[in-house]
Amino acid sequence: MNKAISKAIEFRYRIEKDVLAAMKKPHIQYWIFLFISVILFVTGMSLWYYQIKTGMGVSGKTHPVGWYMYITNFVFWVGIAHSGTLISAVLFLFRAGFRSSFNRSAEAMTVFAIMTAGLFPIIHLGRPWLFYWLLPYPNERLLWVNFKSPLIWDVFAVGTYFTVSLIFFYVGMIPDLAIARRYATGWKRRLYSFLSLGWQGTPDQWRHYNRLYMFLASFATPLVVSVHSVVSWDFAMSIIPGWHTTIFAPYFVAGAIFSGTAMVITLVVPMRKFFSLEKYITLDHFDSIAKILLLTSLIVSYSYIVEFSMAFYGGNIFEMEVFRYRAFGDFWIFFAIMIICNSIIPLFLFIRKLRRNIKFLFISSLFVNVGMWMERFVIIVTSLSRDFDPYAWGLPSFSTVAIGITLGSFGMFFMLFLIFVKVLPILSITELKEVHE
Amino acid sequence: MNRRNFMKFLGFITGSTFLSSCGIDKGLRKIISYAIPPEKEIIPGEPLFFNTTCTECPALCGIQVKAYEKIFDTERGIYPVKLEGIPDHPINYGTLCIRGQASITRLYNPHRIKDPLIKERDGVFRSISWDQAFQTIISEIEKHKAEKRYNFFISSRTTGSLSLLIDEFCHEFNIKRLPEFEIYNYSAIRKANSFLFGKYSIPHYNIKDADFLLTMGADIFETFISPVSHAVQFSIARKNNNLKWFHVEPHLSLTGICSDKRFTINPGTEIYLLIYILTSIQKRKISSNIPASVGQLIPSLPLDILKEKTGLKEEEILLIRDAYLNSKRPLIITGGVSTRSGSGFEVAVLSGLINWASGSIGSLVDFSREENYLRVGTIEEFVNFLKTIDENNTGLLFLLKTDPVSIFPQHLGVKEKLIRARFKVSLSDSFNETTKICDLILPLSHSLESWGDANPRRGLVNLIQPATKTIFNTKSHGDIIIEIMKRKGKVVSEDFKSFVMSNYQKRYGKDSLNMFIEKGFHEENPSPVRVSFNEENAQLFLRKLKYPEAMKTPLLILSPSLRFFDGRSFDLELLKEIPDPLSTISYGSWISLSEETAKKLNISERDELEITKDQWSIRVPAKIQKGIGKDIFIVQIGGPINYSGMTDPRSGEILSYIEGINIRKTGKNVSIPILSGSMSQEGRGIIPYPIHRTENNKKHKESLYPEHKHENYRWAMTIDLDLCIGCSACVAACYIENNVPIVGINEHLKGREMSWIRVEPFYDEKDGIRFLLMLCQQCDYAPCEPVCPVYATYHNPEGINAQVYNRCVGTRYCSNNCPYKVRRFNWYPHEWEFPRDRMLNPEVSVRQAGVMEKCTFCIQRIRRAHDIAKDEGRSIRDGEVMPACAQTCPTRAITFGNILDKNSSVYKLSKSDRSYRIFEQLGTEPSIYYLGKRRGDE
Repeated sequence: MNKAISKAIEFRYRIEKDVLAAMKKPHIQYWIFLFISVILFVTGMSLWYYQIKTGMGVSGKTHPVGWYMYITNFVFWVGIAHSGTLISAVLFLFRAGFRSSFNRSAEAMTVFAIMTAGLFPIIHLGRPWLFYWLLPYPNERLLWVNFKSPLIWDVFAVGTYFTVSLIFFYVGMIPDLAIARRYATGWKRRLYSFLSLGWQGTPDQWRHYNRLYMFLASFATPLVVSVHSVVSWDFAMSIIPGWHTTIFAPYFVAGAIFSGTAMVITLVVPMRKFFSLEKYITLDHFDSIAKILLLTSLIVSYSYIVEFSMAFYGGNIFEMEVFRYRAFGDFWIFFAIMIICNSIIPLFLFIRKLRRNIKFLFISSLFVNVGMWMERFVIIVTSLSRDFDPYAWGLPSFSTVAIGITLGSFGMFFMLFLIFVKVLPILSITELKEVHE
Repeated sequence: MNRRNFMKFLGFITGSTFLSSCGIDKGLRKIISYAIPPEKEIIPGEPLFFNTTCTECPALCGIQVKAYEKIFDTERGIYPVKLEGIPDHPINYGTLCIRGQASITRLYNPHRIKDPLIKERDGVFRSISWDQAFQTIISEIEKHKAEKRYNFFISSRTTGSLSLLIDEFCHEFNIKRLPEFEIYNYSAIRKANSFLFGKYSIPHYNIKDADFLLTMGADIFETFISPVSHAVQFSIARKNNNLKWFHVEPHLSLTGICSDKRFTINPGTEIYLLIYILTSIQKRKISSNIPASVGQLIPSLPLDILKEKTGLKEEEILLIRDAYLNSKRPLIITGGVSTRSGSGFEVAVLSGLINWASGSIGSLVDFSREENYLRVGTIEEFVNFLKTIDENNTGLLFLLKTDPVSIFPQHLGVKEKLIRARFKVSLSDSFNETTKICDLILPLSHSLESWGDANPRRGLVNLIQPATKTIFNTKSHGDIIIEIMKRKGKVVSEDFKSFVMSNYQKRYGKDSLNMFIEKGFHEENPSPVRVSFNEENAQLFLRKLKYPEAMKTPLLILSPSLRFFDGRSFDLELLKEIPDPLSTISYGSWISLSEETAKKLNISERDELEITKDQWSIRVPAKIQKGIGKDIFIVQIGGPINYSGMTDPRSGEILSYIEGINIRKTGKNVSIPILSGSMSQEGRGIIPYPIHRTENNKKHKESLYPEHKHENYRWAMTIDLDLCIGCSACVAACYIENNVPIVGINEHLKGREMSWIRVEPFYDEKDGIRFLLMLCQQCDYAPCEPVCPVYATYHNPEGINAQVYNRCVGTRYCSNNCPYKVRRFNWYPHEWEFPRDRMLNPEVSVRQAGVMEKCTFCIQRIRRAHDIAKDEGRSIRDGEVMPACAQTCPTRAITFGNILDKNSSVYKLSKSDRSYRIFEQLGTEPSIYYLGKRRGDE
């Protein structure tokens, strides 16, 4: 046999083995992480039950501040979802090679983040058992939803996004599932056989597959822009100073990609370490993704400046008060954290050395996650606290339930991700083969 | 499945279905159908109306009770749901105050005394039957009669038949009836009137005929004599005579804020200003009625001394003087804190002299309609009585609807003195400090459960009639007394109802009795009373006149409370739920002080202060407030805060001032529910006076959506800020009418009050304080409507921004998007436990937890008007529909109607040049038009 061919085959097997090695019996560390996540998730769900039982009052919302942590979490998780699509679809269309190191985890992250995000609009409802009233379903009383309401747009935007992301995630995984089928035994084998939909890797199948993947990528790309624009319109379409502004759509999209990219780094860095994937996820790749982080950070910082300048030069007293309050009012600490995390720390990424420093990258990604959560919180809460009528100004109250449910959402997200790494191939094997040849 | 199994399953299913459907009582209720027809005159679902009298305070306004027949389990009864003024009643003209509105909650207060209670040897109360209670009283009376002890009867102010009955009762059993005990007894005014005019009484003040009113200390809108009557008259005078009104006070009161100009005078120096005004009138010579013999004795005060003593500026003094001299029908009313001071008697006499000098006595000060305070004594008299109580000589003590123990501070030992009486019987509707020391408690019915009458002033008699049967095992005071007398063999009358009726017939004849029951009151033209001026006394007074010393600072002023009167209304939860309009504090007590004083003493808001003076002390959190003088502290009476018990020996009044107090920070920080987010308008032009007057944002904004079509009706409201006095009656009315839940202090601390309408005070423009009524603006382009995902809020064809509670899923987006922040979210489920469930208005749904609610312009009233109009084949007339807030407004500041009707008053007012809408620049097109102020120097 030709030596070169046998080497290539051997290389292919090595990739398969390396990637699928992650699916082997887990370490004790894995179980600890999973346990913590599950505990958080279960606590969060129990608190939700408690909230339904006692009343919305336990969530810390008050009279002017009708939206609080739950909507913050919703926007935050939808934002997290974004870079998944960006990395897998947009970068695919741009043929960015480093994408294949991240795309699978990014896509998984997208799906799980939307699942988490999707819970919050229901959690925050006064009567959550009636959530289906937000869906336009035919009924004998001829009740219909209000298509003027941005919340209905949300239902469609998030619903579409979830469907498309899930299909994209799944379709991209079919050839890998077929590989996993080959290595698996017992019930796992049966599962992978089912999921791989009879994939044989014939040239015909590949041709169809590539075309489908291309279509899906093109289809998903506009969603990157549209979904978070719609989410931002929940605020921008309102009348509240601090919300009612045209900059919100691009500002939120940039913010979403920013936070999503940070979350990808947060997830991939430990994953790379635990499963010894240094060979496949290299420093060059991190360098590239850090550049995305930097770029979006600059856009977000620019938006902050624009917001404040508009308020200042606009001379509208309502607007001016809200922005004065945002920076110097009761929530100044939150604002300061947001500026430090989102605008200042990422500036260090201009230094090439730091972009290639995994530890630094990981820590700054954590800061960005925190900062972006703060950003949503600050926008929502400070604007509601100080709107038009000074008599009605007020603050939200501290709520352990809201904090518990927030932590529970992190528990849910990490729980799903941890299950993912043990059940599905964490890197795109077929793409890696392609790239490395 | 084979045949055998099939039969098994069939048998099992049939059996279990059958078994599960029998023998379960849980949740099973009997339904009473109208097979047993309701009482006559009741049409199911239609309200009933009874005219009666409000007994929450001594003003005795006429009220119309709205009641429904309601069915609870197996019980069917008529229950009042709302109180409103009798439209043509001569005191309140169809309106009612905050306390009057809330007094219905006294009827349904779950903490009422439910049975007669007797104190056991171990000091614990045990419930007994009425029979036993009467037996006990009779035997006690016998016992003390045998042992030759004195018996006493103390009550709060009683009038009419009840007063007569008590007389007979006391006479029969040889009980000494004491002067009636009222904290606000106006004895300084009565004594002054007796001194000058020979009439020991409180005249009726005809504010409505005055063109200039100078009030000094008199809190005419809070507690002074008849607040609703004053508010109604103020409104009439404002409209008819363009009334100008100045107010002089040492502290800060609602009345002061509502006047055209408020002057802060050094406490206790009112005399100087009064003398100056009197001298000025006298100097004018021609128009003074005061004879020269008296006139020459009036000292003339140099302006410098006046300025120095009163703390007023020269231009302020001249402004008051000129306003007084230049008006045709001036009236001066002194009272409140100004007559409850060491110089209160002088203040009252001097104001009497001024009214005499300017010829107001007899016209504006009407003695022929004098208030009925004949039996009311002074605090001094009560204190003297306490000294006479003795264990050996004092037998029975009856306490009718009075709570002296909590009114006097502990160190005066009122409790210990009262305890000395051998057997104490309390007639009371709720537990208080005094009932605790009593041996027998007889639970009183609410006036909505009893028969009776009232005689608020000369020439006017009011009917008290029941609108429901008693909710608990209670009896009315009249019935209790008649019953006791019956047991003793003295039959005065069959029951109190017939006693009242026979009294009426004796006085006015049989013919008008039915009219009386239907109308709820009877007014006759009282015979004129001529008063003469007692020259000798006036001379004597002026010769002996002493100028008071300046009060020692720091000074505490105990101010009457708009919400709790003298503290008697403190147990009504609703009144605590509605914030005080000056400070926007709902629950709890507080002490107000100026920023300057706070800085000096290093006090910050919410710091708990301990105020002591000798043995007297209170602990209250601090509230920094504008408009208060230096080193002056103000607390409102109610709950733990009460008078110091010190009295002025000459007037017999209780003192409102505590001089030279010690202030100590306890170091504790107390959360107080201040409902206002900011006391300032923050330059937002919410009340565009005077600097924002020129702002004009009436440009109609473009919209992508088609305009709303309104066919026949478009409901709108105007609120005249010139007439709004911030009295919060509308807030209370709204709570009762719309089943708005009471949520308590913890929710208030979080800012989750549920009121649909609120009074917003704004302290702006040089201490000027303005009130704004804020309620749903029913916008034409309502920001709440498009954001609701399920159409739970929508624009109805009559221009109302309707809220469908059943459809609401609770996103709270509408509330976020409301620029006026008038929507309220139900954070928790609300309990309406017995008997509060009886109070619910059946025309308004009770909202579930998790839904948004808001003002609906009382849509249930509009619907009812539609029904009536349809039956009569016409359209709704102007003024036919009145939301609860507009209905109760004593000054008629709120006008409601169809703005499409060009003849409607709301249309005309909305076109007034004072009309504006709030945040017009937002393009929301509200349906509420505010009429700006026209006060001050204009």
